[in-house]
Amino acid sequence: MSPLARQITAIARPGLAWAAHFIAIYALISASCAARALIDHPTVVADAIVATVVALALCLWSVVAAPKGASADLRRAAFWGGLIFALACLANAAALVLLQGCGG
Amino acid sequence: MTVAETPPDYSGAHKGEDKTFEGVWDTPKGLRVLSSVSHRVVGRRFIYTGFAFFLIAGFLALLVRTQLIVPGNTFLDLETYNQVFTMHGTLMMFLFAIPILEGFAVYLIPLMLGARDLIFPRLGQFGYYCYLFGGIIVLSSFLFDAAPDGGWFMYVPLSTQAHTPGLSADFWLIGITFAEIASVTAAVELITAILCARAPGMSLTKMPIFAWYILITAFMIAIGFPPLIIGSILLEAERLLGLPFFDPTLGGDPLLWQHLFWLFGHPEVYIIFLPAAGMVATMLPTFVGKPLFGYGFAVAAVVSMGFISFGLWAHHMFATGLPILSLSLFSAASTMVTVPTGIQIFCLIATLASGRPRLTVPMLFILGFLSIFVIGGLTGVMLASVPFNWQAHDSYFVVAHLHYVLIGGMVFPLIGAFYYWAPHFTGRMMSERLGRWVFGLMFVGFNVTFLLMHITGLRGMPRRVATYPEGLGWDRLNMLSSIGSYILAAGIVLFVYDFFRSRRHGPIAPRNPWGAGTLEWLYPPVAPGFNFHAIPPVHSREPLWDQPDLLEAEAHEVEGVMHGLRDGRRETVGCDPVSGAPLYILRLPHPTWVPMIAALGMALLFGATLASAYWLSGVGAVIALAAFAVWAWEPSDSGVTRDAGMGHDLPVNVVDRRSHMHVALVGTMLVLMALFASLVFGLLYLWNIRPDAAAAVARPEALTAGLGGLCGLGVALAGQMTRRAALADRFGITTVLSLLTAALAIAAAGLLGLSLGPVDPWVSALGATLWAIVAFTGLVLFALVFWALFNAARRTARRVGPGQSMPDFNLATLAKGAGLMVVVAAALFVAGAYGGVG
Repeated sequence: MSPLARQITAIARPGLAWAAHFIAIYALISASCAARALIDHPTVVADAIVATVVALALCLWSVVAAPKGASADLRRAAFWGGLIFALACLANAAALVLLQGCGG
Repeated sequence: MTVAETPPDYSGAHKGEDKTFEGVWDTPKGLRVLSSVSHRVVGRRFIYTGFAFFLIAGFLALLVRTQLIVPGNTFLDLETYNQVFTMHGTLMMFLFAIPILEGFAVYLIPLMLGARDLIFPRLGQFGYYCYLFGGIIVLSSFLFDAAPDGGWFMYVPLSTQAHTPGLSADFWLIGITFAEIASVTAAVELITAILCARAPGMSLTKMPIFAWYILITAFMIAIGFPPLIIGSILLEAERLLGLPFFDPTLGGDPLLWQHLFWLFGHPEVYIIFLPAAGMVATMLPTFVGKPLFGYGFAVAAVVSMGFISFGLWAHHMFATGLPILSLSLFSAASTMVTVPTGIQIFCLIATLASGRPRLTVPMLFILGFLSIFVIGGLTGVMLASVPFNWQAHDSYFVVAHLHYVLIGGMVFPLIGAFYYWAPHFTGRMMSERLGRWVFGLMFVGFNVTFLLMHITGLRGMPRRVATYPEGLGWDRLNMLSSIGSYILAAGIVLFVYDFFRSRRHGPIAPRNPWGAGTLEWLYPPVAPGFNFHAIPPVHSREPLWDQPDLLEAEAHEVEGVMHGLRDGRRETVGCDPVSGAPLYILRLPHPTWVPMIAALGMALLFGATLASAYWLSGVGAVIALAAFAVWAWEPSDSGVTRDAGMGHDLPVNVVDRRSHMHVALVGTMLVLMALFASLVFGLLYLWNIRPDAAAAVARPEALTAGLGGLCGLGVALAGQMTRRAALADRFGITTVLSLLTAALAIAAAGLLGLSLGPVDPWVSALGATLWAIVAFTGLVLFALVFWALFNAARRTARRVGPGQSMPDFNLATLAKGAGLMVVVAAALFVAGAYGGVG
């Protein structure tokens, strides 16, 4: 992979990680809070923590190991994109920690 | 210039046709202009048609404001009022905002990126006519006294047959779905054009920022529109066929419509905002005289916004009784999206601060955009908060917010863009003096209209009411808002006058009249139909600033690749999607009626369905299919090599993953996967929230579903083997494998259908959704069968030469996508069979 292609991947990776994390959290909430009540809240929290750790790792990978070469601008895009999405993943998961259940 | 190989007999030009370079690119004259496929002709049509819809929708808005000017007004009756505000929203959101921005993108992207045209010009023409005919269908509802009146969001159960009998909702569902084809085709076209047709040296890093904005927007359209398309089809199926997708008495749920609608509807706000912000980020550096501050920040912000905007849809549903945990998730995402938005705004402000801006008319509109959009953004943060949202829900506060975001974020940049790029359309400058009046009237009128609506909303006035009693503290505010709307309208009227006046009396625009840095200003306006004689290599994001030789020489003398005529064909350079290095020569189609005929066939299909003349719908479908076949039945030029100049010996087309055809197919697969995912979402949603109803649904047959899944795997495998055989130029085996792919696809569709034999789609929403999944998968498999048989027929008819394996190469990609859908559908059916649907 060329340095430029690596940088493009580094820009896209945090976004894809956030999307997967958002879908996972939404699915967990739906599984827990809809009429079918497939899983209980502690299971939701435990699964969400695992999903969040994985997503954060993928996002921060672009921050701590922004690929060198090709373009300083794209390196900056990967760095800041990684940070924004890491923050967004934490925001996705925050409600699960702050609330003790589905909340009605 | 040398030619590395003797051109084949077929060069694309008809016998006796003008083969000069200019002649090849000339726009047809007279009525034949309707057959033009040039991005500039098609782009202008999108822009002008979109603006016409804007004027109609604006007129409807004035009717609304006139009705509300005093309490107890009887200017419009209640039914007409409902129709007027519904059509205002519908026209603005579907037929103005997105199409006009796509029009600008279609027009500007090739010029900015150094291409002679978009890569799929016929797709552009087809999309335009779908948009035009779809828009006419929607508008014609007024003629039949059947204008939609259920709001631009068509919520169920209000829009179901029981509550909206007659054709009004059908006009909306069918017309808008038809018009949306244009958005999706333009998205695929723009993704491919941006990734595959750029000037030599224009890596992704050196792309103008506008291209990044459009690239992300196009991906968002590809993923964001399918949920609405699926929702519209399901609702129309419920209205037309009685399938109970949204009927709670049969296990359906009205909220499923809201989920599907807002899965599209919220990203749409960003789909509208991003291109306009891209225009601002393009115009601003010109007037500041400095490059955009923080290109990398802006790219990060645009990419982030593209993703996060898909996580906000339920903030339109805060008042529907969703669990608090869900509300918190969507509230968090709604708040988070302000971070990339803020970064973009700060990039623009920092650019503004980096030089001494020239206060031209486009610059005034940029300043208007910044001030208005920021206020809209701030009220957006307020609405992201669940308690405040509950308080302000469905009040005029929300009306004020959305207009601050959409008019500030899109209309102000758009009018600024008209002033900026008008020389491209007319060859003349618009008036600075009148432009300042236009800005003044619009800015004052807008703020008088909508700033006050925040207060009207906080005082409790609900949206969409046709009138109100006096004495509630709303009278004066509404009076002032209505007066403001007339001032705003006066600004728009003055703008239209200025545009038409400048066509005849405006000063002739010089070359690069604003001193911009991007390539669209290389030629004096109006640039020639071929965009570039030679496509110059670029070394920076502002080539006209950093490469003085480009403007020192006459435009037609600028050095570059592809200079002059090659083979009497329309040609441009295809590039590596990442590095921008020239890879191949792209041959482009000449003017043709075929896409228009295909769109007419589609219009017949949709229009006749509306009129319940189903035999005529069939005729329309046949016409469209035949037109698509003619469209595809052209000789392939692959396998020829040419000297493109500047040391580049380039083949015509490449047969690998970097090819424009393959990139476009991947874009199309993205759309198809999003459509399929929307159906799967609907299935899982209904299964999850209505276990009682799901338990009553008959079980699918596991064995046939499993066999169908195996056939799906076979489809993917056979498609891949077809690709390999074609790449090895093994003609006979490729044909056999194509036929095998088709046979397996037919078997897969049949088995999936058989597995649902026990499931009655008319007695449960879940059953109807299972059948919808089969119908959609069957449609994709039908396309695959059509394609495979088509390829086999072309080979049998000796229309394919050695090295011309692109159609088979792409068949494999479609086969893998279709196979995946079959396997997922089969897995769901088997799970339903063994676990019980309930």
